[in-house]
Amino acid sequence: MPPEVRRGFVIVAGLLAVAAVIWAARMDHIPPADFAFQNGTDPSTLDPHRATGQPEGRVIFELFEGLLRMLPEGEPDPETGLQPLTPQPAMAERYEISEDGKTFTFHLREGIRWTDGTPITAHDFAWSWLRMLHPATACEYAYLINEVRLATEYNGSVVNIGDKVEVELWDRPGETPTSEANVQHFPRGTMKYGTLRGIIKPDAPEPAENSTDDQREQAQLDWEERWIYEIEVADPNAEGDGQATLERFAMSAEVAASDETVQRMHGVLVDFKHFGGAQAIDDRTFVVHLNNSVPYFLNLVAWYPLFPVNQNCVETHGTPLWTKAENIVTNGPYKLKFRRLRDRIRAEKFMDYWRADEVSFETIDFVSLESQNTAMNMYETGQLQWVWDLPASVLEELKDRDDFHSAPKLSIYFYKLNNDVPPLDDIRVRQAISMAIDRRQIVEQVTKAGEQPAFTVVPPGIAGYKGPEGLKGSVEQARALLAEAGFPGGRGFPKMSLMYNTSERHRPIAEVIQQQLQNNLNIKLELKNMEWGSFVETVQQEKYEIARYGWVGDYPDPNTFLDLWVTGNPQSNTNWSNPEYDRLIKAASSELNPQRRMELLRQAESILATELPIIPIFFYTSAEMAKTNIVGFAPSAQDLHPLSILRYRSDDAAPAHSQD
Amino acid sequence: MRNLIGYLLKRAAWMILTLWAVYTVSFILMRSVPGNPFSGERSLPPAIERQLKARYNLDAPPLQQYWDYLVGIVTRFDLGWCMGLEDYSVNQVLAEGFPVSATLAIFALVFAILLGVTAGVISAVYRRTKADVILMFAAVLGIAIPNFVLASLAILLFVFMIQIFPAGGWGTLKQIALPAFCLGLPVAAYIARLSRTGMLEMLTKDHVRTAIAKGLPHRTVILRHVLPGALLPVVSYLGPAVARVLTGSLVLEKIFALPGMGSHFINAATQRDYTLAMGMVLTYTVILFVMNTLVDLAYAIIDPRVKLQ
Repeated sequence: MPPEVRRGFVIVAGLLAVAAVIWAARMDHIPPADFAFQNGTDPSTLDPHRATGQPEGRVIFELFEGLLRMLPEGEPDPETGLQPLTPQPAMAERYEISEDGKTFTFHLREGIRWTDGTPITAHDFAWSWLRMLHPATACEYAYLINEVRLATEYNGSVVNIGDKVEVELWDRPGETPTSEANVQHFPRGTMKYGTLRGIIKPDAPEPAENSTDDQREQAQLDWEERWIYEIEVADPNAEGDGQATLERFAMSAEVAASDETVQRMHGVLVDFKHFGGAQAIDDRTFVVHLNNSVPYFLNLVAWYPLFPVNQNCVETHGTPLWTKAENIVTNGPYKLKFRRLRDRIRAEKFMDYWRADEVSFETIDFVSLESQNTAMNMYETGQLQWVWDLPASVLEELKDRDDFHSAPKLSIYFYKLNNDVPPLDDIRVRQAISMAIDRRQIVEQVTKAGEQPAFTVVPPGIAGYKGPEGLKGSVEQARALLAEAGFPGGRGFPKMSLMYNTSERHRPIAEVIQQQLQNNLNIKLELKNMEWGSFVETVQQEKYEIARYGWVGDYPDPNTFLDLWVTGNPQSNTNWSNPEYDRLIKAASSELNPQRRMELLRQAESILATELPIIPIFFYTSAEMAKTNIVGFAPSAQDLHPLSILRYRSDDAAPAHSQD
Repeated sequence: MRNLIGYLLKRAAWMILTLWAVYTVSFILMRSVPGNPFSGERSLPPAIERQLKARYNLDAPPLQQYWDYLVGIVTRFDLGWCMGLEDYSVNQVLAEGFPVSATLAIFALVFAILLGVTAGVISAVYRRTKADVILMFAAVLGIAIPNFVLASLAILLFVFMIQIFPAGGWGTLKQIALPAFCLGLPVAAYIARLSRTGMLEMLTKDHVRTAIAKGLPHRTVILRHVLPGALLPVVSYLGPAVARVLTGSLVLEKIFALPGMGSHFINAATQRDYTLAMGMVLTYTVILFVMNTLVDLAYAIIDPRVKLQ
């Protein structure tokens, strides 16, 4: 290189460096929000029908609103500090429940609007519930409304001969009869409605001897695609079966192409739109029909998967683009201003919200923060006003401060036992292990956030429910039981592994339990930590002996903790089965009298707490900090914090807030 | 000029080959780890899991998936939709995260070079004095202390004791200062040692001795004759330094709550977000490859003894 190039290069490099620094230093300054708080990991989606976690829930509860909303009722419990929340009228101004508890009629408010200015009608709810249940939406919470008429069949794609059905033809936007499917399942293709008269199935494929489960499943699916459905198509709005015609449909392009009487379609589902349990009677009346009464149904209606989404918005932009800040249409107290990954979601007050004059904060920041220490630092320096995930190391010091709140939560920490692995199939062994664990030591010396030792499964704090005592026992009893089971002094007891997912939280607890079982029963445990994905898969394949788990209640009712352990529940993975338990849970689900129902659930729980297919360790307690000048902040059992009712003390002069 | 273009073309060819190899290895590795993007505390009903797999083309045979995804990347630069952060495509995640990581890296590197070279020159010129000992001791500390420890100390000092910087977040220059400092300091320490060694070596060279002997001012000798040669090792270290700054930011992004790319890298891997993880791996590969090429080029221009090949 000639020297002038070299000299030039030095100058160019210098200029580049300066330019880079100038580029890097440009910052678009955003003013701080009225209220900012720690929201945990980044919400994975803002779609109420796709979301599952708490960070998503906190955002969706402010952006959207259901027929009902969980709001405080009465004063906080003086003993636990818990603020009772009940489902209260929101988009619906009132509702009626039929005497048998199976029909709910919701009357919508007048003049409620979406953020795009269009009115919200009962049809929006009917469509949203249909979208939530549609199999292609893959909503994980769909099972919650299994009792809504035809919901299970619709969600699970179950059709039988004679059912009223809907057929979606293969003509979604961009589709031709031979093309690949358009993955956007809304807007739908041409819909035909009628009665299923018959299914013509070709010969079932013979699976090869050595084919794997996956291959078998694939072959089965390919085969089902070739089925031809014969449907008597009729106009669902017309009375009688006057002008019904028999038409034939199949999913496979090949079958549809080879026979011109067969039309290609996406699938046959029961006709939820016209005969399902979620119907709009007129613009302002929405009626829900249940197969069996569900005592906590109003709680479900106030839960975000049942919140409405805007049909026009979803169909125009498609999933997931409709959730972008420039597209999204919502109906809650706040609307989305912008969303920055790993940074924050900024929401601002929606001025046409029906109670906008009672919403105090103009802007809210949902700050994505995973580190406990960082959140604490930002709270202490005034960047955040509420944090709920505090570092255990400083809890002792924080406990005595005025801005510290702690209360029991609806969630439990426990160990699953694989009841298929001897000797865990012996009830005496399970009881011995449970009795030999000193839970007090765990909550006082390890977790230290004020958790409650657990001997039963349903956390305290559910209105109207008092659980059984549980089997506390003593170390002596545990030793006796173990001896009875054939392992006196722990002799001959096989070495077992205790599995937990990699986390600073779970390791010390597992170590304490390992120590306790070694000292008290002379049982040796091997600790195995696994990264989350592998952990979940290993447990689901039931290739474990003892595994850590946690469960957060989906709704404030004992059932959410108890129906997991019914025979065959996919969440159970314990191989435990008790017909009496199954019977009690089933009986409770159809019992109308609340007291008798709670009694049935209590009996079921006492079976669980005696047979111990899982070993409860403790009930979680919330530990959070909120600035003392916030009015309306209180812990609740479901860990819900409606932000629209919070305000700062300084605006006391504003008109007093009232609840409906 | 001809050999320059030839060199760039050769590097580009190598980069494509490397990317393809990285793509293949990552694809196989990701799918052979147990678990899938949809495994959670609550197990999904099989029907729903099937719908989700269909949405992300995970129901196709592996070879088909390998090919479809590769075609999408090559023809449309489309890395697909994230499987965890459902509302975002991988391209959008990169577009949001990259400027943040780049800003942080630029500040950290500029800071590291300025501080490192200054310290190196001072301790070489005043070698075996107190200043030299103190600076080099500090440099050893800087290399030895991991940046998360440094970050904790910095937060304690500058956020709580002397309240001049915010504890975290992104959006103002003040919020960049601490993370850039913590990220740049270890690099600065390394550069200081490199430039000191380089300076000491140059100071013994004949042409430097000649320059001093003919009576040139000390400052001119250092700046014109010693420094350029002494900086060669520093320039060649810039490639690894960029890598270090980019990967080191993973930890700092978490501590200072910065919305950069690093945290996505870790989360994508643990959540089996196949598409996002692939996007991250490929992006880092491209960045490191390009930076190394630039450094090689710069080296060839500054040092007449180096030939591009």
